[in-house]
Amino acid sequence: MKLSTLAAIALTLGVSTWANADWSQTQNDAKGQTVYFNAWGGSEATNAYIAWATKEAKTRFGIDVRHVKITDTAEVVKRVQTEVSAGRTSDGSIDLMWVNGENFRNLKNGGLLFGPWAQSLPNWGLVDLNKPVRTDFSVPTEGYESPWGTAQLTFISDSAKTPAPPRSAADLLTFAKANSGRVSYPKPPDFHGTTFVKQMLLELTPNKAVLQQPVTPAAFATATQPLWAYLDQLHPSLWRNGKTFPASAAEMHRMLGDGELKMSITFNPNEAANLIAGKQLPTSAYSFGFTGGTIGNVHFVAIPVNARAKAGAQVFANFLLSAEAQTRKADITVWGDGTVLDISKLPTASQALIRKTAPGALSETVPTLPEPHASWVEALEAEWLKRYGSR
Amino acid sequence: MLNIKKLTISHAGKTLFAGLSLAVDQGEIVTITGVSGSGKSTLLNWMIGDLDPSFVATGTLWLNDVQCDTLPIEARHMGLLFQDDLLFPHLSVGQNLAFALPGKIKDVKARRQRVEQTLDNIGLAGFHDRDPATLSGGQRARVSLMRTLLAEPQALLLDEPFSKLDAVLRTQFRAFVFEQIERQRIPTLLVTHDPADVPQGGRVIEISDWQHSHV
Amino acid sequence: MAQALRLALERALPLVPQNRPGLPRQWLAALPVLLIFGPLLPGLYWALSPAMEPMVWQALWMDAQWPHALRSTLISNVLGTVLACGMAALLATLHYPSRLWSSLQRRLPLLLSVPHAAFAVGLFFLIAPSGWLARAIAHFFQWTSPPDWVTVQDPYALSLALALAIKESWFLLWVLAAVLGEQAVSRQMVIARSLGYSRTQTWRLILWPQLLPRLRWPVMAVFAYGLSVVDMAIILGPGTPPTLAVLIWRWLTDPDPALQARGSAASLILLIVLLVCVLAVRGLGWLLKQIQPYPGGQRKPTANWRWLPLHMPLFVTGYAVVAVLILWSVAQTWFFPALLPDAVSLESWLLADWTPFWTTWWLAIAASLLCLPTVLIWFEWGPKHLNALLYLPLIVPALPLVAGQYATLLHLHLDGTAVALVWSHLLWVLPYMVLTLIGPYRAFDARLMSSARALGYSPWRACLAVKWPMLLRPILATLAVGFAVSVAQYLPTLFAGGGRFITVTTEAVALSAGGNRRVLTVQALLQIALPMAAFGLAAFAANWLGRHRKGLR
Repeated sequence: MKLSTLAAIALTLGVSTWANADWSQTQNDAKGQTVYFNAWGGSEATNAYIAWATKEAKTRFGIDVRHVKITDTAEVVKRVQTEVSAGRTSDGSIDLMWVNGENFRNLKNGGLLFGPWAQSLPNWGLVDLNKPVRTDFSVPTEGYESPWGTAQLTFISDSAKTPAPPRSAADLLTFAKANSGRVSYPKPPDFHGTTFVKQMLLELTPNKAVLQQPVTPAAFATATQPLWAYLDQLHPSLWRNGKTFPASAAEMHRMLGDGELKMSITFNPNEAANLIAGKQLPTSAYSFGFTGGTIGNVHFVAIPVNARAKAGAQVFANFLLSAEAQTRKADITVWGDGTVLDISKLPTASQALIRKTAPGALSETVPTLPEPHASWVEALEAEWLKRYGSR
Repeated sequence: MLNIKKLTISHAGKTLFAGLSLAVDQGEIVTITGVSGSGKSTLLNWMIGDLDPSFVATGTLWLNDVQCDTLPIEARHMGLLFQDDLLFPHLSVGQNLAFALPGKIKDVKARRQRVEQTLDNIGLAGFHDRDPATLSGGQRARVSLMRTLLAEPQALLLDEPFSKLDAVLRTQFRAFVFEQIERQRIPTLLVTHDPADVPQGGRVIEISDWQHSHV
Repeated sequence: MAQALRLALERALPLVPQNRPGLPRQWLAALPVLLIFGPLLPGLYWALSPAMEPMVWQALWMDAQWPHALRSTLISNVLGTVLACGMAALLATLHYPSRLWSSLQRRLPLLLSVPHAAFAVGLFFLIAPSGWLARAIAHFFQWTSPPDWVTVQDPYALSLALALAIKESWFLLWVLAAVLGEQAVSRQMVIARSLGYSRTQTWRLILWPQLLPRLRWPVMAVFAYGLSVVDMAIILGPGTPPTLAVLIWRWLTDPDPALQARGSAASLILLIVLLVCVLAVRGLGWLLKQIQPYPGGQRKPTANWRWLPLHMPLFVTGYAVVAVLILWSVAQTWFFPALLPDAVSLESWLLADWTPFWTTWWLAIAASLLCLPTVLIWFEWGPKHLNALLYLPLIVPALPLVAGQYATLLHLHLDGTAVALVWSHLLWVLPYMVLTLIGPYRAFDARLMSSARALGYSPWRACLAVKWPMLLRPILATLAVGFAVSVAQYLPTLFAGGGRFITVTTEAVALSAGGNRRVLTVQALLQIALPMAAFGLAAFAANWLGRHRKGLR
């Protein structure tokens, strides 16, 4: 064997052993640590899954993971910002957070994230690199966050009351006018509400390519002008005349169940199946998307720069990325959140489980539209609040 | 004339007394005696109209030929005096008395004059605007009696009115009360357990006379 | 002769109650109370001093939310308090004293033990557009979709006012019942009526002028509570913008120091509102007193309204609230317009998360057990004339106090610890326990203690052997009250616990924003069950421990 090949093999082995030794060290450091995982707690299926994952983390790795339920990730961002600026650089209260989009961008730009670490996780090799797992709302992740699952904006309706749902923004306007007071969306900055606004923007804006670039005031004004015109027309036909909005998607599900609203909104195409199984929606509920496609994205977990239990956070994130955890997450009877792994790399049984569907889940293929650049989110939210935020 | 006809009161199935009948003349003071718990106060409660709902009473009450037992307290024209003076603390001494004056004296000045005169009569001239709490026990007792009498009751019920006064005050006040009653010719029922309270030559009724079954 | 002997005895034996304890001993007895109140003072300074910057007030003024928030707070609170007073007064005037009044009195403790958050949840399920009331009407009118009513979370906070009115009217009725139970008061009614005045006149001329001054502290406590209530406001109050209390809470918990300062400034506004309203009411009272005419003696018979079951709506609402909570907790599918669930099962109960229950339980036990010796020692040896200070947390809105506590804990790096959480609850548990125990404690016959001391017992041993065992029943009731108060706390748990401790109250409020009513009602019912169990246990224990001692029961 040639010396260079030998050297190459030795180097690879050496590097991988070193990497493995590195990971073993991380796992050792993680034992006994308490990891505060700040994650949105607005869905029972999600909470139940996280509860399972924390139990597994305890038995398998000796990590005590605490799920801190959050309503708005922006608050977590603020907390990290305040802690770091107050000098709390190693004793932060957040170890791992569920994040994407503009929140990730704010953290990364502010140098508030620990890393890079995501691509050195052992389970990174299973990740499907065809999915947008290395850019987050057009912002490169650069290993500062690890992918966790996929999401797509989906609508839910009741076939007993709404056999023919709206399939586009224009459709929605007609539908709202015909069913006055029975349509609404969550109030931004709730992320479902913001995404609804983004969805409308994508359909109505003259030049979609502009949205992939960082926002500028001129571009914003031109791009969003048809959006505000549309919303001005839409709001008077909304629930409570558009003067108040439901606080969350969960509330909208409840109103849909009671018939107070005709449509609800979610990021999980399988959520309706969960809700029907949980008796919170009637069996006649179904999911649908727009014919032109709906916004889809990948969500991640990230570690703040001042986290106390960085090792524990990484080990937990690696577990979340494992085949077993991802399969269970994609199981429609558990959560139904899409996996970020390459399905072909998973065992057949897992593949079958992931592909399983249930009544109420999104059965049609809805094209996925890419998210606008992260900087557009805050601009949109601010403008929406200015126009419609207070009575 | 105050008339009780065949009064039977029972409580929780047990009869306190049965078939009590009594007639009290104008200006007469009838004393009711009996051991504690024998039902003396219950009798007065029934007469004034404030019988606790847990008691069951049958019988009639007549005052000057008007049947009273079906009337509310305010329509019976009976005065009541307890052992506590129970002057209204938020009103002055004079206002307490004025409160009792009948409404037929409409003029404020006339009412005040009448009250001042009453105070004069009981030796408390100039006490009109005093706070009742600043008066001595004996003074309060006198005001309390005058308050009851100013309302021009047609009968008077006294529920151990002297028991909270000390010996000296007791004798004085007792004499004062009897004098007022005699002057205004009101039939009176006096409940007490002290034999010294019985007026000279007055009738004494022992309540156990009507108690066939003892509790 | 008897007098002389008694005087001699008093001189010879130092009688404990008459003898004022020496100053050092007073301070020692006051130490536990100082530990509860003391750290609050620097905390108040730290929490409120950022609000002293004029820039903060400017930012507050510029904020678009505060006018509406203040408006909702004022409407809900003033309306709620006035209605509560009115309803309690109306029922008392109509039905005291009568058999109905006694039966109403007996039903009150059950209703009073329903905590505010659970009540708000239940009322929401009653009056919401998809609630029980709407479903009953839908049945009648054959509706298929919920009506377009704005009955909950309305912009003027009227539903919050209704909730406060109903809940606080029970409390005021209970206070009234206690006062009216005094023999002196009931006899005054008889005397006035014997003078020829009707019930209504007696109430207006004799009873209310005496009782209203005595009610001012409870009513002030009701008003102060309503100003600062957050849990009920989240469930029933408007969303955009919320009431001022909710707004302040959001600002205070925001990581941004500028918003925190704004929250502190706004909580000063709450205090100012309280002061203004108190002064206005006092002024009104003074005015009314000035225009009182000389007693005119007019006897007016009044119409008999007592046959109208006006008490029914008040009490039936309470029962309906508990009933709807129970139904939702066992319901399977229960969509509009069904009046009853399609199927029932105990699934939600079996799958329920009991962690908040146990957290609430140990927290409440710790708080009440720590407070009890504090109260007893204060009553026995502490400076009695300072009792009024202990009631401060009841008549001051809770938000500034909670902010002060949080500031102290942050400085000591104790926020988020169990010790901090228990300590923060003590500030509210203590006044309620003092309130409950002070009557029986003062009424305790001092001669029993003198006898014990004469037999050679030291003051401490006399208390342990004689006084406190004899006060068994009131002490157990006080423990139950302290327990119930701790269970119902919302803001202290959130602030001092740093979001790390979840009690049934915080869980119920958090779940109220979600979609699953079953899980929410299970937690709300657990919140009701805890104080009820405490009261039941206290009554049972009092009877059982005194089973051989009739005088204790």
